[in-house]
Formats: sequence, C-alpha cells, structure tokens
Amino acid sequence: MNRIWLHGLLRRRAGRLGMAAAGVAVAVALLASLGAFLASSQASMTARAVRDVPVDWQVQVQPGADPAAVLATVRATPGTMAALPVGFGRADGLTATTGATTQTTGAAVVLGLPDSYRATFPGELRTLAGTDHGVLLAQQTAANLGVSPGDTITANLLGGAAATFRVDGVVELPAANSLFQAVGAPPGSQPAAPPDNVVLLPEARWQALFAPLASTAAAPDLVRTQIHTVRGHVLPPDPASAFTQETGAARNLEAQSSGSAVVGDNLGAALDAARSDAAYAQVLFVFLGLPGAVLAGLLTAMVAAAGADRRRQEQALARSRGVSNAQAMRLAAVEAGSVALAGALIGLGVAAVVGWLAFGSVNFGATTVSAVAWTAGAALVGVLIAAASILAPANKDLRWATVAAVRRSAEPASARERGPWWSRYGVDVLLLAGGGLAVWASSGNGYQLVLAPEGVPTISVSYWAFAGPALLWAGAGLLVWRLADLALRRRQLVRRALRPVAGGLAPTAAAMMARRRRPVARAIVLLGLALAFAASTATFNATYQAQAEADAQLTNGADVTVSESPGVRVGPDAAAALAGVAGVRAVEPLQHRFAYVGADLQDLYGVAPATITGVTALQDTYFQGGSARALMNTLAASPDSILVSAETVKDYQLHPGDVVNLRLQDSATKQLTTVPFHYAGIVNEFPTAPKDSFFVANASYVAAQTGSNAVGAFLIDTGGQNVTSVAQAVQARLGASATVTDIAHTRSRVGSSLTAVDLAGLTRVELAFALVLAAAAGGLVLFLGLTERRRTFAIATALGATRRQLRGLVAAEAVLLTAGGLAAGVAVGWLLSQVLVAVLTGVFDPPPAALTIPWPYLAGTALITVAALGAAAAGALGQGHRPPARELRQL
Amino acid sequence: MSAEKVDAGVAGLAAPVRAGALVVCDAVSRTFRRGGVEVAAVRAASCRVESGMRVALTGPSGSGKSTLLHLLAGLDTPTGGHLSWPGLGGLPRERPGTVGMVFQGPSLIPALDVVENVALPLLLAGLGETEAVERACAALDRLRIGELGVRLPHEISGGQAQRVAVARVLASRPRMILADEPTGQLDHDTGDRVVSVLLETADELGAALVVSTHDAQVARRLSRCWRMDDGRLGIEAAS
Repeated sequence: MNRIWLHGLLRRRAGRLGMAAAGVAVAVALLASLGAFLASSQASMTARAVRDVPVDWQVQVQPGADPAAVLATVRATPGTMAALPVGFGRADGLTATTGATTQTTGAAVVLGLPDSYRATFPGELRTLAGTDHGVLLAQQTAANLGVSPGDTITANLLGGAAATFRVDGVVELPAANSLFQAVGAPPGSQPAAPPDNVVLLPEARWQALFAPLASTAAAPDLVRTQIHTVRGHVLPPDPASAFTQETGAARNLEAQSSGSAVVGDNLGAALDAARSDAAYAQVLFVFLGLPGAVLAGLLTAMVAAAGADRRRQEQALARSRGVSNAQAMRLAAVEAGSVALAGALIGLGVAAVVGWLAFGSVNFGATTVSAVAWTAGAALVGVLIAAASILAPANKDLRWATVAAVRRSAEPASARERGPWWSRYGVDVLLLAGGGLAVWASSGNGYQLVLAPEGVPTISVSYWAFAGPALLWAGAGLLVWRLADLALRRRQLVRRALRPVAGGLAPTAAAMMARRRRPVARAIVLLGLALAFAASTATFNATYQAQAEADAQLTNGADVTVSESPGVRVGPDAAAALAGVAGVRAVEPLQHRFAYVGADLQDLYGVAPATITGVTALQDTYFQGGSARALMNTLAASPDSILVSAETVKDYQLHPGDVVNLRLQDSATKQLTTVPFHYAGIVNEFPTAPKDSFFVANASYVAAQTGSNAVGAFLIDTGGQNVTSVAQAVQARLGASATVTDIAHTRSRVGSSLTAVDLAGLTRVELAFALVLAAAAGGLVLFLGLTERRRTFAIATALGATRRQLRGLVAAEAVLLTAGGLAAGVAVGWLLSQVLVAVLTGVFDPPPAALTIPWPYLAGTALITVAALGAAAAGALGQGHRPPARELRQL
Repeated sequence: MSAEKVDAGVAGLAAPVRAGALVVCDAVSRTFRRGGVEVAAVRAASCRVESGMRVALTGPSGSGKSTLLHLLAGLDTPTGGHLSWPGLGGLPRERPGTVGMVFQGPSLIPALDVVENVALPLLLAGLGETEAVERACAALDRLRIGELGVRLPHEISGGQAQRVAVARVLASRPRMILADEPTGQLDHDTGDRVVSVLLETADELGAALVVSTHDAQVARRLSRCWRMDDGRLGIEAAS
C-alpha cells in the first residue's frame, strides 16, 4: 500500500511534494553551506595566523646555559625547519653628531644577527633606506638621532666603553612587539612598548662587543641570546587543535632542555588569537545562519500546511475505507520521508555547489569527522523539518480532527473571533521585553561575547547573548502576527485599502481575508521575517565591510599613502608633484613627529584640519569630546589645541583647556624644545597612527613651533579607483626615496582573519539564501494559498466573475501580503540589524558609529520579492483560465 | 469552439429560432482526452430550452448529464456542433445573472458567510454592496433560511447548503436555472424540499428549470424528461 500511495503522491501531488522538498532543501543547503563556511574559515584562519608570524619561536637561553647546546636542542626538535641565534645586548644610550649638533638618546637595544637572518625571517626587517646589511638602525632611532645612512653613531656600552658605527641602513621592525617580548613573562608583565632605540649589528661585531660582557656576573640581564626558529607548519586546520599541538611542542622543548630554554611561542600566540576568530565564526554561524534555517523550516511548514486540508480529506477517505490509524501514519510517513530524502539530497548538492563557488571547497567540515557530522546534522534537520511539517499535523489530525471539527462547529461566533491564545496572554510583548533586556545586558560595556584568555587552552563563547536576538525574533514575529490579525479584522479598513485593486469586490476580498486571517497573517509573518533576515544580514555584513574598510584606511591612511624615509625632509609643496600623477584626485600632507610628554615618547600627527577629511574618512567613533568635524574645526580655530589619547588623559589627569607641554625636536638646533598645546579632545584612532597613544595637532602650528614643515606622509585620494596602479605610478615617480602603500594591499593584510578572508564568502552565501527565502516566502506561499483555493475561483467564475474581477481578487491578496510583509520586514529588519551590531560589537574594529545600509541589495530583494509575488499571482490566475466546469469536477 | 464560432453557428441554423428559446443545442458534442484516450461525454446532442420549461435530465452516472448542463450554462465549450443562447442575448458568462446554476457538490465559498455567498453573483454583476446584501437577505428569507445568514459554509448541513445555493440563484433572478444533481447528497425528505424550493423559485421568476437527476421521483415532479445515455440525448414528450 505504501508503494501505491507514494506512486499516487508522485503522480498527483508532485508539485506540492516538490515545493515541500525545496523548503527542506533550502534549510539543509544553508546549514551544510555554513558547515563549509566554518570548515573553510577555520582552515584559512589557521593558515593566515601561521603566515603572518615572522618568527615562530623565540627560544630564550637561560642564564648560565650554553647557547650552542640550546641551539642544537632546538634544531633537533621535531618540526624545526631552521634555527638561528640572535644576540640581545643593551647600551646606556646612543649619540650622533650631525652638522653642528649632537643628539643623545636613552637606553638602546643592540641586536646581533647572523648573515642569513634576513633570508630566514623575511618578515622581521624591512629596509627603509640604505643597504640591507651591515649596521642598521630602527626607523624611530634614526629619527631620534636625526641620522641617515652614511652618518656615524656611538653606542655607550656598560662600564663606560663606547663603540662607533657607520650607519649602513634604516629599517622598520614590523614585529617589534614580539621581537622584544619578555620571553617567559606572563601576559600582564610584558613591556608596554618595544624599545625606542634599536641598533642591529652583524653577528660577528655584536659578539666582539658583547661576548666579553656576557661572561661577567654583572650582566646576565644585559646580554641574552635567543634562538629564533622556523617551524614546519603542518598543523590541523582547526585553530584550536593547531594551538594545542603547537603549544604542546613548545612545552616539550622546554622539558627536553632541562630548564636551559624558555620558549617565546609566537606561533602559539597567533593561533591563540585565531582561536578567538574561529569562535566568532561560530557565533556568526549561530546569529546569521540559524535564523535562515529556522525560516526555511517555517517555509516548509507553510508549504505543507497549504495542502493540509487536502491531506486531511485524503486521510479521512483512506480511514473510511478501512485504513487504521497506524497505517494512516505510515502513509504520512511515506510522504514525509519522500520530502525529507529529496530535500536532503538536493540541499546537500546545492551546498556542495555553493561551497565550491563561495569557498573553493566542497568540504562540510574542517576534519573528516566534522564533515560527516555537518552532513548528517544538516540532513537530520531536513528530516526533522519534514516530520514536523507533515507527520506531526497528520498525527494531530488523526487524534483530534473529529473532535476539533465538532468543537469548531459548536463554537459561538464570538469564540472564533478571539485571537490566538498567545495574543491573549501577551506572549509577544513578553518575548520582546525579555529580548530587549537580554540584549541590553549582553551589549553593555565590557561584555565579552567570546572569551579567549591568552595562553589558556579553553575558549568560551557566551551563548547567553544569543537569547536576546532569539527572543526578539520570536517576539517580533508574533507581534507582526498580532498586528496583521488586528488589521485583517478591521474589514472597513481593509476594504478601503483594497478598493483600488479589487474595485466593487473589495468587500468580498476583505471578507475572504478576514476569514482566512490566520493563514494570511502567517504568510505576512513569514515574508516579514524572511525580509528581516535578508535586511539584517545584509546590513550587518555591509556595516562589517565598512568597518573593515575603515580599518584598512586607518592603517594605510588613504587610498594610497607615501611615507617619507627618515632623514628625508620633504615639505608640503611636494604634494603638487604627486597631484599630477594620473588617477590622483587629491593629496594631503600629514606631518609625523615624535614628541615627549613627560618621559613618554609618542607619535604626533600634524594635520591641515580644513582639508584632511577630503582624502580620508574620519569617523566620529575615532574621537571623544566631539564629532570628527567639530574637533577638526577646533584645531582650525585654535591652532595650539591638541587631541590626545584617552590613556594620556587618564595618566596626566587632563581636563579640556589644560596646557600640555610637549618636547619636539627643533629643526634648527636638533634639540628638543618645549611646545605648549591646549588639550581639546580625545582621539582613539587616526589614519596611519599606531594603536597605542599618539597626538593629533594643527600642522601649521607644529611647523611654526619647530621651524620645520617636513611631511611624514602624503595621503592620496584616488576615489577608490585603481589604487594599485596609482600606487605603482607614484612609486615610479618617487623612486626609492619614499615608501608607497595602497589600501588594496593593506586590506588583505590588516584585520582579523575573519575580516579579510572569510566573511565575504559567508556574506555571499547568506545573502543568496536570504534572497531565496524572501522570494519563496512571498511567491510560494501566495501561490500555494491561491492554488488551494482554485475551487473558490472556479465557483466565482461559474457565478459570473470576469477575468478582471478574478484578477482583482488575487491582486488584493498579493497586495496585502506584499504591503504587510514589506512593512514587517523593514521594521523587524531595522530592529534586528541594530541588535546584531550591538551584540556582535566584538567583531567590529573600529566599532561603527552608525549602520551601513546596503540600499542596492535591499532594493533588489524588495523588487525580487514583489516580482515573485507577482509571478505567483499570475501563475494562480493562469490556472483560472481553465473552464470552471473542469476545475469544479477535478477539485 | 469559441463563443464567436458558436454564435456564427446559430446564425447558420436551418430551423428558425423561436422567440422563447433561451438556449439552442444543435448536434453539440463534448469530448475529453484522458490518458491519451478520447472520451465522448456528449455526442451530437440537440435540444432547446424555452422559457418556463421544467425539464428533468435523467440517466445513469457518467452518461454526460453534468457535461450537458455545463455546456448549457456556458461553463464549458463544445468540441463539436452549434450552441447558442438566443433568448439570453449571448454567452451567459458575459451576461452575469442570466443563468443560475446549482452544482452537484458543495458550491459555497468557504471563506464567505451565507449572506456573502448569496450576494456574490450580484456583486459580480455590478450591483452595489448594500443592494446586493438586501437582495441576498430577501432571497434567504424567501427560502426561510434567513437565520443562517451569518454562518459559514462548514457550519451548516448539506441540505441547508443546497438551499443556500438555490437562494443564490433566486437572488440573481436568472432566466434559466440549471441544477446538477441537487438532491444527490441529500436524504429523501431534504431532497424533496430542495426540489420544491427550486420549482417555487422557477415559478416565481418565470424561469426555465433543468434538473439533472437519477431519482425517478424527482424527475416525475418536472413536466419534461430528457434522458442521457452514453452521451446521447433522448428527448421525451412533455407530460
């Protein structure tokens, strides 16, 4: 019998089964695609974390231990690809005499590097001027001393000895923080900043200077040796597993060395950070993926519910022919099983294609086990959706249909007019209130959604934070239902609204919809939630991308940035030459100096407040105490005003208007001179500025006070177009005298691994599914609803309804559904966008000042949804073209 | 065959059309294609329905009674022969209210209450809402089922539903009433009452009445009897 039943279903109800299977397929495909996203993102996060580590291990040789023995141990450790000794020595200070002036710095670190160091660890040094070898100075040291390649400096060593060097080159140390870490010290005890003054010597010269000192008892802290190591990067794709494996290897080396070596595990630290990104990827999955899967489930349930009356009739007919309840359930199970099987297979196929297109992989998990788990899990969800949509209602009908029918017929009209039970108890309002409270609690200051303590193997995700959006989703859906139900009851209102569409049949259309308000309200809710899902996901992604772009622009400064080499003095007039390069829209000079406040050395940026915003975006969130525009106006109106970091305000107890005396290098004397500023506001972020403390001041004032208008960088606006080619053209014009960077390169380098690599794929997948769900929620539900009422339209036709009148009746429902769904989608979408951005603030860097609305996508989604509704209405009308007699016979 | 072709055919009829002929069938056929096989539901049926006629259309199940009624009502299109509605001024579907149809099965729209169901053909014919509702209520009262007005179709019995369907016909004041097995799903007494209502309605409107049935008692209450057998129509003399 099951086979006959299935055969009949496939022949007679193929459309309905196909649509239900499509709903299941969407849910399965979405979940499996997200599995592919997680697999892809975890693998790329690990690869990216590993790629960006310049030195995997810095193995510190402990006092009294033999560096050669430790080097041999490290080289013998499994997984070690290369290991080189690096000497760390200290000098009391550095001195340089240029022209008639002598500059002196504080304590300096002197590194001794083997000849092959640069080739083995290419990410550790970047030459800015001069040669790649010999005596090299760090950029800031060169600036402090006012020297350039060819000048001579003197290092004052312990015990009064001095060594004189001719500077061969100036280098940048991109990974200075990790290079100068205190190996073995707990995270809280690490130095706040790398040393200001660094000299890099060839190993032989360093040995000649410091080897004697190393043997003296007084110098164990002043002369150290580290073994810098390259590890083979054969790691599990999951950052957490990779972290565990890598830190285990480091601990093993420490155990092998019997206390003579402590490992500074940079690779482990990078993987530690990637673990946090991986956790955020899971968070995004829950926030952005699950609503889609739930919507797909609801859509399937709606599709199944559209055929519930027919199924009920078929079931009743079968029972009247002697089919037992158990057999009837088996028949329903055959239908549910067919839908689940077809939906799961189609869904997994679609997910494989999506994964291949979006992530370049058809894996549904990072490992075989997780791939199998994701595949089985997604398919299981499909089975559950099919069971809940088909099997559960069938079971309910079997148990309650007769009783329910009797009760319904006995119900007075007033009872029918009552709303659903949850609306009488205000469940929607309670859910919204609870959701609001949960969001408020989980988006407050200092709330950490993902907690990944440095060095601790465990990582925790606050799944409590999901409660807020989940409750708001449910509450908003029920509230939309309540409002739609209330509106549909007000027939006068509905008929007035529908009169332009339905004409003289507006009362009939209003009456029909008032009686069918439950399915109509459900359809409005589903369409509204689908649109809200699309809107909130798109808005979140757009805001995220905007902030990632802002992060890239903060790092690079502008579309293209020209950084002048230390010692090269270029005035703002050079901007004119750069403006002549093809593709350049505007050029803005940006001063870069170093200034002492008290004993702290900080970067100082001199800007032209009136024009700086023309080439780079200054967001209000970068500042405190005023908007970006207001603070730039302050700098323009009061040239001696200055913006300082929050940390500096706290450390020096500053209040608006307070005088801040900075010591800046005077151009003529090369000596530090005190320049008074007035504290005007707080700056947290600024283009090209470091993450730690810095100042922003008026460039004209700085130039006047220091006697130099030398520019540190030129920010170039290209309108976002052809940044790479413009950068190449600028570089070609300037030669090696300056470093040119473009935002495209910076974009791929900065940000978390989540930012640059993976979210784009997730975005494409999410937005595509959101679009499908919105279109399906509108078109499919309307089409099925109309199809199930073919008899109604056939009767109307038999009673004399013209095509135009039928079109009016169908259009009335389509218009009501469209208007209600769009209104609900906009309102709920706006709410959920705000909530998503608030709760997921942790993934934004810098945090956004406002939502970025992706208008083209939203407009496209609305248009496609309206088109789907129009197509559904047209399709339903097309069925009405058949002779009504035939329809009445068949239905 | 399109309505235009039907009318063209009427013009070419050999026999002159009498003024009382509401509908004229001349060798009308209707075939369906089912599973690649041609099935003839009506074979070259010729008949005419005139004002005031009371016709019982009898015959076994599947003999083509419903198809013939649908053709007469203009709800279906013949695949052969000529069909015209000279007394109605043209295709009934284009002249709402000229033909009233009582269907075999449930024919009330589930989402409309009884009054709205009865008023619907009037609204479709272009009447205002107020007038349509007044006429619907009057028709229901005329059939003594006014108390059912606010009920939904699933809240009334099968016999009540058929009487509502008759009220819908009454409210439209058609010139020809076609009833397809109106008592087929009703017990004898209820069916008898429904037929009485149909006859009273037709008398009141002066309309022609054609009732398909295989109930001999129902057929005897009508003055003429047409018999369908395997798609062929046989017309007996008026009683």
